[in-house]
Amino acid sequence: MNSLAQRFSTTSPLAHFRKIQRLADEDEDVSDAAWGSQAGFGSLTKGVPTFTVPNLPDPTAFLRLHTDDHADPNCRIKIQHGTTTLAFRFQGGVIVAVDSRATAGSYVASGTVKKVIEINPYLLGTMAGGAADCQYWETYLGIHCRLHELRNRERISVSAASKYLSNLVYGYKGMGLSMGTMICGWDKTGPTIFYVDSDGTRLKGDLFSVGSGSTFAYGVLDQGYRWDLTDEEAQELGRRSIYAAGHRDAFSGNTCNLYHVKEDGWRFIGNFDISKMHYEGPGDVPGAPGGGYGYALRVEGKSSANPPVAEAAA
Amino acid sequence: MPDMNSLAHPQQHQFNPYTENGGTILAIAGEDFTVIAGDTRQSEGYSIQTRYAPKVFRLTDKAVLAVNGFAADGNMFVKKVRQRLEWYRHAHAKDMPLRAIARLIQTMLYARRFFPFYVYNILGGIEEDGSGAVYSFDPVGSYEREACRAAGAAQSLVQPFLDNQIYFKNQTPAQDTSHPVHLPLHSVLALVIDSFTGATERHIEVGDGLEMYVVLARGNPALQSLQDLPGAEEVTGTQAEERVFVIRRDLKKD
Amino acid sequence: MSIMELNGGSVIAMVGKDCVAIASDLRLGNQALGLSSNFQRIFPVTDRIYVGLPGLGTDVHTLWEKFRFRVNMYTIKEEREIEPETFAHLVSSTLYEHRFGPYFIEPVIAGLAKTPSGGVKPFIAATDLIGCLNFAKDFVVAGTASSKLFGMAEGLWEPDLEPEDLFETISQALMNAVDRDAYSGWGCVVHVITKDKIVTRTLKGRMD
Repeated sequence: MNSLAQRFSTTSPLAHFRKIQRLADEDEDVSDAAWGSQAGFGSLTKGVPTFTVPNLPDPTAFLRLHTDDHADPNCRIKIQHGTTTLAFRFQGGVIVAVDSRATAGSYVASGTVKKVIEINPYLLGTMAGGAADCQYWETYLGIHCRLHELRNRERISVSAASKYLSNLVYGYKGMGLSMGTMICGWDKTGPTIFYVDSDGTRLKGDLFSVGSGSTFAYGVLDQGYRWDLTDEEAQELGRRSIYAAGHRDAFSGNTCNLYHVKEDGWRFIGNFDISKMHYEGPGDVPGAPGGGYGYALRVEGKSSANPPVAEAAA
Repeated sequence: MPDMNSLAHPQQHQFNPYTENGGTILAIAGEDFTVIAGDTRQSEGYSIQTRYAPKVFRLTDKAVLAVNGFAADGNMFVKKVRQRLEWYRHAHAKDMPLRAIARLIQTMLYARRFFPFYVYNILGGIEEDGSGAVYSFDPVGSYEREACRAAGAAQSLVQPFLDNQIYFKNQTPAQDTSHPVHLPLHSVLALVIDSFTGATERHIEVGDGLEMYVVLARGNPALQSLQDLPGAEEVTGTQAEERVFVIRRDLKKD
Repeated sequence: MSIMELNGGSVIAMVGKDCVAIASDLRLGNQALGLSSNFQRIFPVTDRIYVGLPGLGTDVHTLWEKFRFRVNMYTIKEEREIEPETFAHLVSSTLYEHRFGPYFIEPVIAGLAKTPSGGVKPFIAATDLIGCLNFAKDFVVAGTASSKLFGMAEGLWEPDLEPEDLFETISQALMNAVDRDAYSGWGCVVHVITKDKIVTRTLKGRMD
């Protein structure tokens, strides 16, 4: 009974000791390893990452109060939201396509975000939700994939890599991490996609799209998807789907980054301006139909309401 | 005197360690230089706390860090980054390269994922290959290399102007010509001054003074003109080949 | 969710040398979803006055019809065309009639006023959603991209621009501002009003 009372007391020697211990822990940087290079991962020197947590009865509520802009638009720390990402599996490998817009409220904070994270030459991760969460944990995943290679003398499977990430973020469940990611790669079993999110969901599948513009992307993707798509057709489908989302969704847009994963690893296909795709098309690339994707260009001259430009001028 | 009614319920006290201190920062990378600038007003709500609180700090002779948001967190963060850079210098007998500083800042910010530093960082300087570079961060450490970036209270006023004048967005070059990829130093400095005078006009949290840090790559031909520029002060720390200057200008104080 | 951001859209007006310009984007959305890329929110009041009505889509039409009715009544009673400044006060008092249940519109007015010597004088004004008038000498902005428009206009505008230069200035200000705003864009329309003609141009903008 006495020990129980002491545990909750704020004046006992034990409480005092705890307070000192907490203060010492605050100085999270001071470890011998921090003196040298830790390849940028200084916080991992204790084996697992260490995080400073506010000294409160409910640190989660604190974080929600200050960082979750869904609950409260006035909160100070904005975490970027709004995205369209997609990946699908087909006969020729995996296509990964994403947009590049980051918004904070109505402000377009960036139009050049890299939402495909190159984990290693055989693995790609996509970014939706918290940008920092995705960037940090997928870089961290890259470290562990390399360690797996060194320990086992073979590459990690996409299944194992995605499960590593899934278990990791599950350990932080309820702490406010926000990630919706697709881990894509090619391993012994062939082309593989796993959807992993911060709730702990992990799904294997042929076709996924994540983000605020995903419904628009699915519309085009489902329509055009077949297993026996050629490489060119598949790349065009990925590009066209991201265009559709970038066009209709206010929080997606700017450019499309396209990747193709094959047996020998991923390859960056290109960066395509979504507005240029609307008016002129993606340019001289294999699989492109020629001409813009835009609605107005497809109806021009087809009805009395849309006379061809030359005729209207005359 | 609290009445019995209010005492009947548990009193909740909200822990709010953050405030917003206004101001704006901005960085533009050139081919062989980088300009990192910030105003010097520090405010809270409608009150000005001081007309001179620097937001831009020299880290090494090729790296300058601008911090904006909550000033207390910002100053503490710069202190911690500088400490880590000094340790690195002691361990490796050289300055940390810019891209490594960028990654260091990411991990330092992410270590506080659950109790964030409320600061928007922009890191500018010279890369190991001699090119100008700008890295911008969100408060929990997501980062990206860019050519130009504005952050802070007036970011939405300044950034579209920069898109137009630096990236030539929505501009079509005349027949058989093309837009320059990189602008010369004097044009960049003129744009920075115009951006801040514009932001000062229309945003109450921006004004008082302007500090522009210029980091020059080794052998930059603009060195002489910068040394002759009235009001430009050299703040290079060691005998490094990169040179750091600070140029100060007044902004409106109303 | 803010009612002013439900449908999106922005308007800007600028003064030049013996001319004024008013411009707007063409997007109408339902929050993040874009619905139309041809939504006109700038209307001609007389052949020398234009009004832009950024804000809630439904109120754009309601309010414009109300203004049209009142301007017609004014023209019939007074047997002359309304002057820009008079129209600005008409806008202001119409909005203030709904002080405690306002229209969610922040009007922008641009026009040329007649001078006693027979010349013209550029006039621009803007009000908030309950009719507080702002007579600016340089430029006025309103809508979801207003802060971006302020930054652009402050950087690009200069006094006594000729009509063609004013067109380029207002177009660049608007296009670059709406490209940084999620709720505005999808094309633009620009009207330049001079003494003897009005030039209207539709601009191709980013469609994302």
